[in-house]
Amino acid sequence: MPTLKIDGKDITVEAGKTVLQACEEAGISVPRFCYHERLSIAGNCRMCLVEMERSPKPIASCAMPAGEGMVIHTNTETVKKAREGVMEFLLINHPLDCPICDQGGECDLQDQAVSFGRSRNRYDENKRAVTDKNMGPLIDTTMTRCIHCMRCVRFSSELAGVDDMGALYRGENSQIVTYLDGLLDSEMSGNVIDLCPVGALTSKPYSFTARSWELTHHTSIDVMDAVGSNISVDVRGNTVMRINPVINDDVNEEWISDKTRFAYDGLTKRRLDRPYIKKKGKFVEASWSDAFVAIQRHLRGLKGSEIAAIVGDQADMESMKALKDLLAKRRSNRVECRQDSAAHDAANRAGYIMNSMIKGLDEADYVLLVGANIRCDAPVINTRILKNVKGRGLSVGVIGDTSELNFRVEDHGNDPSIITKLSNGRHAISKKLKAAKKPMIIVGDAALCRSDGAAILAELSRLAEQYCNTEDWNGFNVLHTAASRVGGLDLGLTTEGGVESILVDAEAGDLKAVILLGADEIDTSRLAKTFTVYLGTHGDAGVSRANVILPAAAYTEKSGTYANTEGRLQRTERAVPPLGDAREDWAILRALSDKLNVTLPYNNLSELRASIDFAGDLGVFTKAEWGDFGKSGDIDSTSFVGPDGRFYQSNPIARASETMAECVAVRCDTQQEATGTNG
Amino acid sequence: MVETLYSLMGGQGPVLYLAAIVLSILAIILPLLIGVAFAVYFDRKVWAAVQMRRGPNVVGPWGLLQSFADGLKLFLKETIIPSGSNKVIFILAPMITFTLALISWAVIPFESRMALADLNVGILYILAISSLGVYGIIMSGWASNSRYAFLGGLRSAAQMVSYEVSIGFVLVCVLMKVGSLNMTDIVEAQQGYIWNWHFIPFLPVFVIFFISALAETNRPPFDLPEAEAELVAGYQVEYSSMAFALFFLGEYANILLMSIVMALLFFGGWYAPLPGLEFIPGTIWLLLKMVFFFWCFAMVKAFVPRYRYDQLMRLGWKVFLPLSLFLVVFYAGILVAFDLLPTSG
Amino acid sequence: MSVIVQAAKSLILKEFLAAFWLTTKYFFRPKVTINYPYEKGPLSPRFRGEHALRRYPNGEERCIACKLCEAICPAQAITIEAEPRDDGSRRTTRYDIDMTKCIYCGFCQEACPVDAIVEGPNFEFAAETREELMYDKNKLLANGERWEREIAANIAADAPYR
Repeated sequence: MPTLKIDGKDITVEAGKTVLQACEEAGISVPRFCYHERLSIAGNCRMCLVEMERSPKPIASCAMPAGEGMVIHTNTETVKKAREGVMEFLLINHPLDCPICDQGGECDLQDQAVSFGRSRNRYDENKRAVTDKNMGPLIDTTMTRCIHCMRCVRFSSELAGVDDMGALYRGENSQIVTYLDGLLDSEMSGNVIDLCPVGALTSKPYSFTARSWELTHHTSIDVMDAVGSNISVDVRGNTVMRINPVINDDVNEEWISDKTRFAYDGLTKRRLDRPYIKKKGKFVEASWSDAFVAIQRHLRGLKGSEIAAIVGDQADMESMKALKDLLAKRRSNRVECRQDSAAHDAANRAGYIMNSMIKGLDEADYVLLVGANIRCDAPVINTRILKNVKGRGLSVGVIGDTSELNFRVEDHGNDPSIITKLSNGRHAISKKLKAAKKPMIIVGDAALCRSDGAAILAELSRLAEQYCNTEDWNGFNVLHTAASRVGGLDLGLTTEGGVESILVDAEAGDLKAVILLGADEIDTSRLAKTFTVYLGTHGDAGVSRANVILPAAAYTEKSGTYANTEGRLQRTERAVPPLGDAREDWAILRALSDKLNVTLPYNNLSELRASIDFAGDLGVFTKAEWGDFGKSGDIDSTSFVGPDGRFYQSNPIARASETMAECVAVRCDTQQEATGTNG
Repeated sequence: MVETLYSLMGGQGPVLYLAAIVLSILAIILPLLIGVAFAVYFDRKVWAAVQMRRGPNVVGPWGLLQSFADGLKLFLKETIIPSGSNKVIFILAPMITFTLALISWAVIPFESRMALADLNVGILYILAISSLGVYGIIMSGWASNSRYAFLGGLRSAAQMVSYEVSIGFVLVCVLMKVGSLNMTDIVEAQQGYIWNWHFIPFLPVFVIFFISALAETNRPPFDLPEAEAELVAGYQVEYSSMAFALFFLGEYANILLMSIVMALLFFGGWYAPLPGLEFIPGTIWLLLKMVFFFWCFAMVKAFVPRYRYDQLMRLGWKVFLPLSLFLVVFYAGILVAFDLLPTSG
Repeated sequence: MSVIVQAAKSLILKEFLAAFWLTTKYFFRPKVTINYPYEKGPLSPRFRGEHALRRYPNGEERCIACKLCEAICPAQAITIEAEPRDDGSRRTTRYDIDMTKCIYCGFCQEACPVDAIVEGPNFEFAAETREELMYDKNKLLANGERWEREIAANIAADAPYR
């Protein structure tokens, strides 16, 4: 614990911290470009120079470990001169194109040039110009603006796991490139836009559409996957202009996936903006009251057993609760939230959440992935694992498909039946689990969305009990893919037989009416015989067999509670009003309940929330009581299915997004090129 | 005038006589109304000149047709009758004002004996008609059913009544000397050149008459009935289109009347001011004098600020009334003392 | 005594006549106003009249959609929307000025880094409807074409003082 003196103030910091971090702790801000808290230290921008006594030259504070007895000055004439000098050098080759630069207004270089730079430039030679690089449909490059801080290079190799970026040439000629001029092939690539302290890497979909000062920021939650990344929805007028991450060290640190960041253009495309009623095989625009009347007419006289509902992947807990209550009023409890037929057991919360938390990955010493296509299903968690694998040598064992994983793993094959052999303690995995102090088992959808999913679940729970769980550590983790799933399970929206039995009954004609709450991932052709009400945002798979379409609000348009895969409850913020005639889902259900003469007992969102028995407080992780779950049985040795390659189009919003479509198209192209004879 | 015309037309039958009357009336009214139009233009030009502006200069050569353009504009506008007004009286009021402003001209001689009606009580007739003028204003003020119009009407009535008293008295001074109420007689009593004219012996009387005439015609500084700063436009506030135009025409016809009356009473009517100028016809002289007084009216408007209402009343009752009474006694005394009274005809 | 003097002065209308004389003198003075539609007064090169969007001599729009004018506009009269043009350059798709909101402060032309939006010398743009005063990009560019000579001359004349 070295103690050092910074600007006359004594401060003691943890050993291994740098002078810059010590300054931060002392409340003194030091300008920097290349240094970033979550990346390795490079020390190449020299902006963080400070003066240290008994040192002949100013030192780069970001790279200098804090030492006992150091005396640091950050506000002397030397430091000022050093910063001005560095600033002037950086600006020599930086173009004066702030007015057309998307970074303008939120640019580190701009801000620091004002704060620490000289007011005039003495350079009158020609400026350097660098050709722009093609980094795919997401990242716009203006490499002339680059100041070579290498943040993007460090990010892509350390956190994105793709060693695609690097610097070529030397000195003034050095350039940041993607090797072989390929795109940055990572689902986390958008984060380099945030990292870039200048406007060299900017967002392509967002390019030139808005300026930072025009945007209002709405702190919200992402629903593209079950991680529940904290995001800031940036809005101009009534349009979502971009989505940026919000720092939450427990969940997403400061990264978000490309789907989270760029799928927002799907919010305005293929949207259901008014109610429709299907008449003679065609959808006819209708008013809300007409749509309600149509539903009322078809639901009149139906028995409770003839009505069912399926909840989609992006439903908030409030609307699920309203749907559940509505069906309960019609004497039906057939509401199913597992539209992918995953074998989750709603009875035991510990059985369907991530008990070790995402944060736990930073402490864990062994991770076993069972049927978890983690890079595709939860790129942010994948990044977290990658960071630990690269940073502190975390060892990861995998039972399942490893083709896409971008970190070093122990591949234990793709045979589920070995799970049953682990309990005897002789398998390599069992030894690892036994040796580890804080082992984590992460089971994914590939393992659970099978007919033997319940058996796998039961077997893994026994393993967790045997190897992982201690007094203060629970190593059993479920990785979900749907943002609504944990919330739905919390509300107990499971039925005997799951979605499959609903669809079978629908085909058999036993079910007369089905309500789809944004459920698009099911085979809707099997609902042809029933009266189907689709309540959702997009004209996706779910509407194809619908008889009545009710337009609902997307996640940026309502305040809704979501439980992420950890079971952490988080809430979205209404950033823009619902599109067109669309309304918030719970409000639609409440209005419909009036029409059906089964009025739901809440008139506003807070009353509705008061009626929900939340598993914990907002934003914090609540431990779940351990217990039995799953159903013992035989485990089939059929391989776990690998990633289906639908990362960019896994939900209705992403499927409507043109940006996501471009991402898919460009990846198809590169794959074809790679297999050809070009080059 | 009518007789002259009648005899020119042959002098036979009542129909012809009637025609002669109508023609004579038209001969006065048409030039008068055209004159009013130019008077408005002239008025505006004078203010503009005093303020070193150009004034109307767009319509017609030097803007001469400006008033006709304004008239046309007013004519084409919608006549708005306020729903709360007393409609009959509301419409009647501008007609009365306009008619009264015109009928005074019946007794004005443009040359010796050349009046439409050469009454031997001509001056009395003018006084009577101008007293009636207050009715039009008070009717409009009342019928508009508006506070502004009502206050304007009240002020106007009080003001006209106040100043008519002194006008009456100062006229007595002149009439005592002339010994006739006939306009032609009054002018002919000033036969000769400028030194024979009444304004020399009757200078104080002329001054009081001039100022009272300003008050009588609601001209600045006595334009309180329509004081735009406080009453917006006084009794005219609810009027638009032709109704407003009638008020406007009436007002200017009255100003011209007062100008010509001053020329007749004090400035020798149609007589040339100096020997050797008789080659210019008397009517032209009369009109020139009228224009001069109109110019004075316009100038006054350009340089005096508006009176406060109590000042207006004070001037009328506490200054002009005693002064004019005194002048009557004074001139009567002089006339008696020096035996200058005219022999009664 | 002064009362009598005062009374005498008012009786002989001293001030009235003095004023009459003074106004009569002014009556004959030369006019100070100009015959406006036919004659016009001089304008400063800094005169801030009707807005115009300029082009470069090669016909390229100057405006780069930086939105600084929109940001600085105290009346919030400017609305800009932008997107990349086909050639990748940053251009406006919409540039609206609500001339009824505009207070003609000239901040927009001060803020403009490329001298694209300028307030030209034209002040005769009265219109019969409000709609005509909602200027769009086409109108502003047309203004720029119409007034380019004057605007360029004004900018050149004012350049030494900037």
